[in-house]
Amino acid sequence: MYRSHRAQRFKHAKSAASRKAEAAFIRDKYPQKIPVIVERYPGELYLPFLDKAKFLVPQEMTMCQFVTIIRDRLALSSSQTFYLLVKNRSLVNMCATMCELDQDYKDSDGFLYMTYASQEMFGSYWSRFVSVPGKTRRWEPCGVATQFPGTIADLV
Amino acid sequence: MNSVSPSTAQYIQSQDEAQTSDPRKVLVPGVGERSLGWNGHCGTAEKPAASEEPDEVDKLKAKLMSAWNNVKYGWVVKGKTNFSKTSPIYLLGRHYCFDSAVSDLMLKVPPGENQTRPMPAVSLFRKDFASRIWLTYRREFPPLEGSVWTTDCGWGCMLRSGQMLLAQGLLVHLLSRNWTWPDALLSAETESEPKSPSKARTGIVSWPVIPEVLSSQQERGGGGGRAGGPRAAPASSQARRPVSVTTPGREEREHRRVVAWFGDHPKAAFGVHQLVAYGKSSGKKAGDWYGPSIVAHIIRKAVTKVEEAEGLDIAVYVAQDCTVYKGDVMNVCSGQPGLAWKSVIILVPARLGGETLNPVYMECVKEVLRLECCVGIIGGKPKHSLYFIGFQDDFLLYLDPHYCQPVVDVTKPGFPLESFHCFSPRKMAFSKMDPSCTIGFYAKTRDDFLDLCKHVTALLGSTHGEKYPIFTFAEGCAQDYALDEVRVDSPDPTALISRSRHTSTGTDEFVF
Repeated sequence: MYRSHRAQRFKHAKSAASRKAEAAFIRDKYPQKIPVIVERYPGELYLPFLDKAKFLVPQEMTMCQFVTIIRDRLALSSSQTFYLLVKNRSLVNMCATMCELDQDYKDSDGFLYMTYASQEMFGSYWSRFVSVPGKTRRWEPCGVATQFPGTIADLV
Repeated sequence: MNSVSPSTAQYIQSQDEAQTSDPRKVLVPGVGERSLGWNGHCGTAEKPAASEEPDEVDKLKAKLMSAWNNVKYGWVVKGKTNFSKTSPIYLLGRHYCFDSAVSDLMLKVPPGENQTRPMPAVSLFRKDFASRIWLTYRREFPPLEGSVWTTDCGWGCMLRSGQMLLAQGLLVHLLSRNWTWPDALLSAETESEPKSPSKARTGIVSWPVIPEVLSSQQERGGGGGRAGGPRAAPASSQARRPVSVTTPGREEREHRRVVAWFGDHPKAAFGVHQLVAYGKSSGKKAGDWYGPSIVAHIIRKAVTKVEEAEGLDIAVYVAQDCTVYKGDVMNVCSGQPGLAWKSVIILVPARLGGETLNPVYMECVKEVLRLECCVGIIGGKPKHSLYFIGFQDDFLLYLDPHYCQPVVDVTKPGFPLESFHCFSPRKMAFSKMDPSCTIGFYAKTRDDFLDLCKHVTALLGSTHGEKYPIFTFAEGCAQDYALDEVRVDSPDPTALISRSRHTSTGTDEFVF
């Protein structure tokens, strides 16, 4: 199932030790910034991929600002749904700063992981295959058609 | 297990039975044998199907489709739903507790002997539940523009859920949360004394349950207190009289008016034809799947379009990024200067977790459904949209659109209303809930809106020590924040990025 795809590609592309070392290095070098990994939710079908997954974010930046930046990078319209999830939670407190998030949700390897997703659509698979004149099959199994942009190597 | 089943909240038949046999035949035994059996979804709604004889091929197709939907979505599998007797059940801000001495007694004695005694909790709940407008898949409606679809079976469930939420909002707006459909439990009986609180009405139920007595005390208690409202009504809604002048005719008229807006013909204001047309700007077309936030925007567009013509005096606001900007709501509600404050339906598309509902949000969802200002949540199980209207313990109470009914011509005066109401409540574990949803609120007046902000903020946040709530309220407009960002953060984001890129030499893959 597409759902079982690894949620955190970055995390799985490198060993814990090297991630730890990298995070420590970054945090040491830029004490005012937080290394954030932003990846697309594996089941996501509607939002595009980000060209980059690693962000160095100023501590004082609010979620609102961060969300705006990611939205801009994805070129989303204001009515398109976009959620940043951290540890299976939707981060909607737009006033929260990155520093707070970092304290609450930092991974043991030192990075702050976020996943972005829109909303699920509802309907039955069957409706996609029903033979209605003038309709073609449009549905493709999720996850197969998608590719992680830039290779994993790009991230490491 | 201490539950009210089978007497109170049990389905006496599965959907399958209802479809394959004469509804009357199935339902009648229920009347005699089980005093308070809750017959399956819409036994009465099957009547039109039996009487109409559309083209054989279409009929077969439609039957196959509806049969498939029924099988697919487990109407058959789950024959009955039991509700706990000890825990309170919440239905859009109202709560009912079945565990009372009276209801205990009532459940155990044969129906015949109880006709003169009131049966508060269970009946009130059933009446309240059955009064919610239930919109389901329909078949054999005029083809949707630009397609050959004459049914929304299999793809329109989220639209239907959205319609139900809007219908509930409109019912509350035009009638009040206290309104219940007289036919929900009783035969249509002239409502002579709507203000008399202790009046108990007796009648034969219009759907096959036992005749019973219902104290209408609770429903009538605060009557149309909010319905009339202190607001200046626009010319077209002058017909909405003040509280005390409630006549039987008006409620029924409004009820039918609301239902007719959701009829399945191209002219119906919030019918599937119109909604699909509004969805085109979101890149959706007939046959596509819809999501809760897309539907929220579709509802907003639809209401904006017809609001004035229908004299609805209502606006819809859709939150962005899970933030309700109070200033934006105010702007939406006040419209042009000089006009009275419009009532507002606030829709908050949310995502309560990644793959599954994050359990930390469960309490919060419950709290929301406890609020009277909440008009329900559209969401569902994965791929299966439902309209959540309440809960009991860790189960959500819902109305399910996955039931294919033949179209009803709502343009005819006195069209049958039965297929637009659901008589059998169902429930689903919170753990099965899909994290994608849209939460709906309704505020009649400006004060109501401010109250709503206060209450919802309180329950979302600090009271549970929740630092990252489902959604938030913010002062001002979304626009202000966009400006703020540029101002406070001095350099614009791209400049920031390029600058940081420049500085972060050793880690140049990092952005910023």
